[in-house]
Amino acid sequence: MIGVGKVKQYSNVLDKPLSKGKQEVSLSAFAFLFSELVQYNQTQVDNIAELERRLEDAGYSVGARVLELLCHRDKGNRRETRLLGILSFVHSTVWKVLFGKVADSLEKGTEHEDEYMISEKELLVNRFISIPKDMGTFNCGAFVAGIVRGVLDGAGFPAVVTAHFVPIEGQQRPRTTILIKFAEEVLKREARLG
Amino acid sequence: MAPAGPRSGDAIFASVERVNAELFTLTYGAIVRQLLTDLEEVEEVNKQLDQMGYNIGVRLVDEFLAKSNVSRCVDFKETAEVIAKVGFKMFLGVTASVTNWDAEGTCCSIVLEDNPLVDFVELPDTCQGLYYCNVLSGVIRGALEMVSMKTEVTWARDMLRGDDAFELQVKLLKQVPEEYPYKDDE
Amino acid sequence: MQFFGGSEISPSPPAPTASGNNANMMYVFNRNGVCLLYREWNRPLRTLNPQQDHKLMFGLLFSLKSLTAKMDPTIAEKGNLGVPQLPGQGCSFHSFRTNTYKLSFMETPSGIKLILVTHPRTGDLRESLKYIYNLYVEYVVKNPLYSPGTPIRSELFNTSLDQYVRSIA
Repeated sequence: MIGVGKVKQYSNVLDKPLSKGKQEVSLSAFAFLFSELVQYNQTQVDNIAELERRLEDAGYSVGARVLELLCHRDKGNRRETRLLGILSFVHSTVWKVLFGKVADSLEKGTEHEDEYMISEKELLVNRFISIPKDMGTFNCGAFVAGIVRGVLDGAGFPAVVTAHFVPIEGQQRPRTTILIKFAEEVLKREARLG
Repeated sequence: MAPAGPRSGDAIFASVERVNAELFTLTYGAIVRQLLTDLEEVEEVNKQLDQMGYNIGVRLVDEFLAKSNVSRCVDFKETAEVIAKVGFKMFLGVTASVTNWDAEGTCCSIVLEDNPLVDFVELPDTCQGLYYCNVLSGVIRGALEMVSMKTEVTWARDMLRGDDAFELQVKLLKQVPEEYPYKDDE
Repeated sequence: MQFFGGSEISPSPPAPTASGNNANMMYVFNRNGVCLLYREWNRPLRTLNPQQDHKLMFGLLFSLKSLTAKMDPTIAEKGNLGVPQLPGQGCSFHSFRTNTYKLSFMETPSGIKLILVTHPRTGDLRESLKYIYNLYVEYVVKNPLYSPGTPIRSELFNTSLDQYVRSIA
């Protein structure tokens, strides 16, 4: 009746089988938790840039763990070593696990060799947002940028990752673009690998 | 008394948009880590998690009421059942049960069969005093306060501390009627 | 409930038209009497400042609720007039009509009060108010930048509300 009997006990979290990742919670549960992350961090900062940095930090630790998890579960501990490989891993595998879909697009920057962009028409964390005018260019996508940076960094592809709103013609809501600027060393290594 | 709402949250959970529980679990983990860094003292982190839960509860109650079509929450016993059977299912996709009612019907336990917050979690030695899931007690307290019930919510059992289940004790302190909010001559 | 006589409405405002917006204004209050939202579409006459206006509307509802519950012929035990109730306790009214407008009202157990004032010939708006409550949940409550209990500044909510109200009233 009480249902306690159904709870399997493990003396150690490592003994517990790694979940297959099929469990779900409601989108609102996540939305409320995320709101509170934003609200709490607003009390810790003086300006928008600082707020974005802190959201990015929170995202980074999520990204680092997502990488661990996926490498164990889906890839048998294999890791991507090539630039395009890791980018498509983020754009497809990571996105699918976290947001339930592949990202809308992955493009190479036209002006800079070291820049790539992942775009999403309606990024999950921007789904319910209305930015007041006094918060200017603030973008909650900083959290997702942090996730991306966490994954890339963990896989040995350090990069600067930022989130931006990009207006779409004929649409009321802008899309969000996650801009990835790889560190110099990454591009040099990539060049060596040929 | 006619039932004030649905008896189970399964249908609602099936109909709402859902996300992978891992995104939720890992985001929560990131919040806890951030608090441990910011506040240092485990006791302060417990407090902050409870406060954040409270803030979430204050918002979440409207989503709950809108989606579940519950039109009144006047009876505490009924409300506790609805939280366990509908609330937990609708948001976290897990089932909870209500048990351990006291004689007055003002104190009960909510026992969780499953808890998505704690996947991948093991408390390190430095955090032994941490109530990792304290956000949940805050959520219940905040949501109930919005429907006029002042409560005290505490952990009776916590699996991360070696107990055999997650059990929250919910105690009704008082029901607060709506007051006319303005002074007469403003 | 109907004030000021029966169906003979006079002087009558123009009858509802298919295209135009026949809603006059909308209020949203929280349980502490804070006016979270005031939206106005058609209200030529104004004699009060906004604060007075909001307070008067909230007071009207508060008193009406108390009166309607007190007059409930179906319930034996009821408190004294003016004794505060829990939101959702006792009976509740959902609209009243005058010769010039109809006021529709919904209160949630969390004490959110939605008030929509429309043309007197508008039909039952209870489902519409529920829909607006859902808009409020989606675009206000879930907005990470919204602090509960503060006035609503959400573009997303305002535009969807305008659109929806235009379609119903």
